[in-house]
Amino acid sequence: MLRVDGISVRYGRIPALRRVSLEVGEGELVTLIGANGAGKTTTLRAISGLLPLAEGSITFDGRSIANAPPRTILDLGIAHCPEGRRVFPQLSVRENLEMGAYRRRDRAGVAADMERMFQRFPRLLERLGQAAGTLSGGEQQMLAIARALMSRPRLVLFDEPSLGLAPNLVEQTFAIVSDIRREGTTVLMVEQNAYAALEMCDRAYLLEGGAVMEHGTGRAMLANDHIQRAYLGG
Amino acid sequence: MAEFLQHCANAMILGGTYALLGIGLTLIFGIMRVVNFTHGELYTFGAYMAFMLAGLFAFNFFVSLVLAALLGVALGALIERVLLRPLRGADIDTTMLVMIGAGIALQASEQLVWGGVAKSVPNPFPTAPLTIGPVSIGPIRLFVLGVAVLLLIAFYGLINRTRLGMAMRATFQDPDTAALMGVNIRVMYTMTFALGSGLAAIAGALLGPIFIVYPTMGDLVALKAFAIVILGGLGNIPGAVIGGFVLAFVEEFGAGYVSSGYRDAMGFLLIIAVLIVRPRGLFAAKERIG
Repeated sequence: MLRVDGISVRYGRIPALRRVSLEVGEGELVTLIGANGAGKTTTLRAISGLLPLAEGSITFDGRSIANAPPRTILDLGIAHCPEGRRVFPQLSVRENLEMGAYRRRDRAGVAADMERMFQRFPRLLERLGQAAGTLSGGEQQMLAIARALMSRPRLVLFDEPSLGLAPNLVEQTFAIVSDIRREGTTVLMVEQNAYAALEMCDRAYLLEGGAVMEHGTGRAMLANDHIQRAYLGG
Repeated sequence: MAEFLQHCANAMILGGTYALLGIGLTLIFGIMRVVNFTHGELYTFGAYMAFMLAGLFAFNFFVSLVLAALLGVALGALIERVLLRPLRGADIDTTMLVMIGAGIALQASEQLVWGGVAKSVPNPFPTAPLTIGPVSIGPIRLFVLGVAVLLLIAFYGLINRTRLGMAMRATFQDPDTAALMGVNIRVMYTMTFALGSGLAAIAGALLGPIFIVYPTMGDLVALKAFAIVILGGLGNIPGAVIGGFVLAFVEEFGAGYVSSGYRDAMGFLLIIAVLIVRPRGLFAAKERIG
């Protein structure tokens, strides 16, 4: 479904990604693990069209999306739930959800999807008119996830959905990501919590210094010596 | 008492145009974060366009107003497209210097095209003042206030009640995330700057028949617009409207009861006083963290 082939990204003259290749198949849950600064967020931002590629190609359903504007990539069915939640702080909860559906013209469908979000995240309905910046961290994460789903994506990119959340909310967030996949949406997730990520994924890629060092099924990666020593404290 | 009411009426009329200038600049300076030294020049440009269309070409005054505003929008879009788009991500000093240069260039162009002699825009209304009880007001002034109030309401609705306004607010709170939602943020930047510029131009065009039109007319006005924006809280649209009226009342009553020579100083004294007590303005927008 998504094929990233040898992409490099530079910030000025500093290389951030070096010939990264990865694949996500329809219906899969794939995770990207690695330390801070390994290039996980950069990879997602390159896929979404926020960063220009220095080389390489990205295709979605066989169509090239390399260096396309973010709105075109969104229209093809890729939504991005960014690191740090990034809700629009001064927009209301409702407006944040409407922004998620910004490109959609089917009003009835948008209204129905919004209802579904309220069933899934009842807290959002309670906070509907409130500025998103006044929500708690957990509520903001729910809003960010719901906002990404409002575009009816076929592939969702999650960037560190558990970051900065209390332990019980971390579990809840991973459960939501698993649910989303179970409902038929493909997921590519960046996660620093390597153990949780490898437990729940089908396949995983390990990034180190802007390059893919290992990849394999979640189970194989959990058993990998290098990963156990460096990322699982084993 | 009659004098007091007359001052109130004058202040309301002045306040309407101050509010137009203020919301135009709060969009550009408060929300886009561009320290816009062309705002006063757009005001001057609007006044000259009204003079050209209604005075030289003898167009209908109301048609001229609309055209002057549209030309202001076009000039604003051009400035954003040519000068500001390449500077996105540049630091504020660079942008500020470029905008100072653009302001000087625009003012010099006005002088070159129209000469230094002041012009006046023909007044389409009867000049005899309307007398309402103890207050007398020229019909053109009432018209200016009416248009200003309508524009303020329309503008508030545009920003807060439309999909476009929502996308603009989202863009300036977090451009990257707005882009991820599918907003064409380049278009949003251009439209916002153009809209703010159009508001300055129509303020100039509206006041054309009341005051005289000359190349440096925008200087003091630009300073006052900055003062209004700061008074109302950066980026706060209702704040800019209230700030505009507050400034007008202080100037009018300061001039009326203290000394008319200090009219312009009164407003700035007020702003100094407000900023000592509330450094972020009277109505600083809450929740500024992005």
